[in-house]
Amino acid sequence: MTLKGIFTAISVSAVLSGSAAWAEPLTIYSPQGEERAVWITEQAKAAGHDITILSAGGSELFDRILAERANPQADVVLGLIDASMATLKSEGLFEAHVPTWAEGLPAVYRDDTDHMVYKFWQTPIVVAYNADVMTADAAPHSWLDLIKPEYKGKYVIGSTAWQTTRSFLVGMLVRFSDENGEITDVGWDFMSKLYENAIVVDSGDALTAAFVNGEAVINLNWFGGVGKLAESVGFTPGIVDTEGGTPFISEGVAIMKGTDQPDQAKAFVDWFGSPEVMSAYATEFGQVPVHPAAIAMSPETVQANATLLTPQDIDWDAVAPKIDGWIQKIELEIK
Amino acid sequence: MRAHLQDFRRSPVQAVLFLVVLWLAASFIYGPIWSVLRFAFAPEGKPGLGAAAELAASRRVITAIWNTLVVTGLSIITVNVVGLFQVAVLEYLKVPGRGFLRFAYSTPLIFVSVAAATGYGFVYGPTGALTRIIQSIYPALPNDWFSGTFAVVFAHSFLLTSFHFLFLRAAIRRVDYATVEAARSLGASNMRAFLQVVLPVLLPTIFATTLLVTYKSLGSFSIPAVLGGQRFDMVSELILTLNSLRRPDMAAMLSIGLGAAVILCIVAMQYIERRGSFIGGAKTPVPIERVRIASPPMRTLVTGLAYLVALIQLVPIVLVVLFSFAPARSIGTEVLPSTLTLKNYVTVFSQDTAFVPLRNSILMALAAIAAGILISLFVVAMAQRVKGAVSNALDLTFMIPWILPAPFVAIGLILTYDEPSQLVFGATLLGGFWILPIGYAIVAIPMMIRFLRAAFLSLDPALNEAAQSLGAPAYYRFFRVTLPIVLPVIVLVSGMTLNSLMSEYSMSAFLFNVNNKPLSIALFEGARSTNPELAAINMVYIVLIMAFSLLTITLADRYGLGNGQEKR
Repeated sequence: MTLKGIFTAISVSAVLSGSAAWAEPLTIYSPQGEERAVWITEQAKAAGHDITILSAGGSELFDRILAERANPQADVVLGLIDASMATLKSEGLFEAHVPTWAEGLPAVYRDDTDHMVYKFWQTPIVVAYNADVMTADAAPHSWLDLIKPEYKGKYVIGSTAWQTTRSFLVGMLVRFSDENGEITDVGWDFMSKLYENAIVVDSGDALTAAFVNGEAVINLNWFGGVGKLAESVGFTPGIVDTEGGTPFISEGVAIMKGTDQPDQAKAFVDWFGSPEVMSAYATEFGQVPVHPAAIAMSPETVQANATLLTPQDIDWDAVAPKIDGWIQKIELEIK
Repeated sequence: MRAHLQDFRRSPVQAVLFLVVLWLAASFIYGPIWSVLRFAFAPEGKPGLGAAAELAASRRVITAIWNTLVVTGLSIITVNVVGLFQVAVLEYLKVPGRGFLRFAYSTPLIFVSVAAATGYGFVYGPTGALTRIIQSIYPALPNDWFSGTFAVVFAHSFLLTSFHFLFLRAAIRRVDYATVEAARSLGASNMRAFLQVVLPVLLPTIFATTLLVTYKSLGSFSIPAVLGGQRFDMVSELILTLNSLRRPDMAAMLSIGLGAAVILCIVAMQYIERRGSFIGGAKTPVPIERVRIASPPMRTLVTGLAYLVALIQLVPIVLVVLFSFAPARSIGTEVLPSTLTLKNYVTVFSQDTAFVPLRNSILMALAAIAAGILISLFVVAMAQRVKGAVSNALDLTFMIPWILPAPFVAIGLILTYDEPSQLVFGATLLGGFWILPIGYAIVAIPMMIRFLRAAFLSLDPALNEAAQSLGAPAYYRFFRVTLPIVLPVIVLVSGMTLNSLMSEYSMSAFLFNVNNKPLSIALFEGARSTNPELAAINMVYIVLIMAFSLLTITLADRYGLGNGQEKR
């Protein structure tokens, strides 16, 4: 009997004896960590949802959900990005549920075929730079500029296990896809040059260190991460609205198939994605929601950020099954 | 077989236990091996060599294999040079301060695996004490000067000398000093006597230790992972990468390659062991005497070198111990800590995040040891009681993991148990707590069987017969006669296993997850972080591991097991 089974047995007997105080909290897997996870847990509690968030890196959670497929430990998955959610859905791990806030959500963020994955906020993956030492003119104007000799050793590529790294690598690669969606040799040449020109690291500390010791000037990062890094290292960030567009990733929520608390899970999803909670989160952390009603209720800076950059058109559902192969090629033949 | 049936008829409990052990062998030894072979040679159910072709096409795989071969080739030379020099200094030459040198040269016995790698990283790494000292004199030294092939070979040279310390010292003591005297009376110098008289006698032992070094270096995992740097892979590490890239077929194929290389080493080792046995000294050898180096400059040079080697081996340990008592802020800012505190130790034992890996490692090691001892006892006792093919086959089955590198076993477990398996009644082990202790038990059992078999062989059969003639039934004889006699061996082999599992890295890196993160993984993560708090906790972990090793080795030495190991 698993721990979860024991808990269930306890909670069942608790319900039978007329006391709900023993009810098991909803287990939520999410890459939201630290103060963000604390905030969500506290707000949920205030709204009557008893949850525990297990937070870990996006790709670690993804692997874990796949590994636990026979015996799922999570009730809800929250905050994995488009490609990961698409893969987990295609593995048959999610339960259908149309959240109350699906109405009014733009079609790209809905799941009109399977009714499983709904997106709640988005973030661009940007080219940013240390504006204290680099002018806007000298900064790259496009992702494809990075291979130029003047940027050698000035930008960092992190671990391919990170959602951010994967997203921008895919964003660059898809520009080189042929009619079948395969990457051309020109694209792989570009990728080799990109890696040759870069500082390659595989830990967050090494990434920060590259900026602290002044080697790295250009930060390829998700929007919120740019500000966080600039603040901790102590420089003024500049952000490039790149030619050819900026990859946007959106994070989704879904209910795990086989959850023993489907009603609580549905109630939590309905609550979490609602414009009120989304705008409150936006106020707290500056994250841009995708629901128009939530954007309208958000602070002005967040509203401005929502239209700051030109999005790159990426069909994540089509790309998702190819990403593993691309990352393998990068890791084994290019890196 | 008939003997077994008779045995089972006498004792149905034996029959049940036999079935349980058969099931364990099928599930955790043959199942994983079968999975590795199946994924490597027929990933989609159709036989093919696609995985091998893809490995050959990958630049990173080829580089990793090349790195492994280069590191191994260089390590064989450097480890032998350092190891032979140490043995000569300790046992052949008169060098002042022999006790101190012996202590320094024995440290690779307790400073092992990921703990040692982390310690070296702490001294020579980008923010290490030595790096900063050199940079203050020579500012152009890059932060990552200690990385790649150089760093790994350097670490191997001073960490893999434990075999020389154990076996070669024992061998040189068996050299007949009369032969050395004879050579010298014929006019040979010290050097020449050593090279032409002593060395040839040592040669079989040198071959054996060289093969052990080769075996260790081929499978080297934590040292390149911690010290190799960003773009340096060796084969074990790459098997892990392939697995995380969701290419189990390529990981399986590469682990077969590593396994083949290791098996080749072991076969060669046994061949040489057998051939070397005819080289013996005189019937009544004159014990070797240490000679005084005649030329003063030469004497100074040898003494200087001896102390330099001792220094290289001691400095990381001394710094680790010192900094484990230093406040976190002094790590990376001070060369020697200016104030001492017990705060880090309090943190490890009081703070959940710091204590959990320690607790996990102890729990998993104890579970693995308990299971391993029970299985080994059953296998060895059965082989003693009922001689025959079945017993031998079972014994050999549990010895298989001895010749398989840890990544091979780990990949096998992953591939067998990443989905519900009938072998374990529909459970999925991957991602759970138990998969890692199971892996630990698999690699620990061969050594347990070796020691227990030796203990059982030395039992006086008359004791058992006496008990039998007095009417004691089998289980009673086992618990009241056999077990008390072999108990010290059980305790010691458990201690030695616990010791090696506390810093086990190879199996752990593949099988750990959030439910069971062990000490070795916490050490590895701490070693790659720039957070001084984590570094401080790491120092405490290393000191605890070393203290524990020291305790078990001292105990083992006292009970005479150290000699048993030399016969290995």
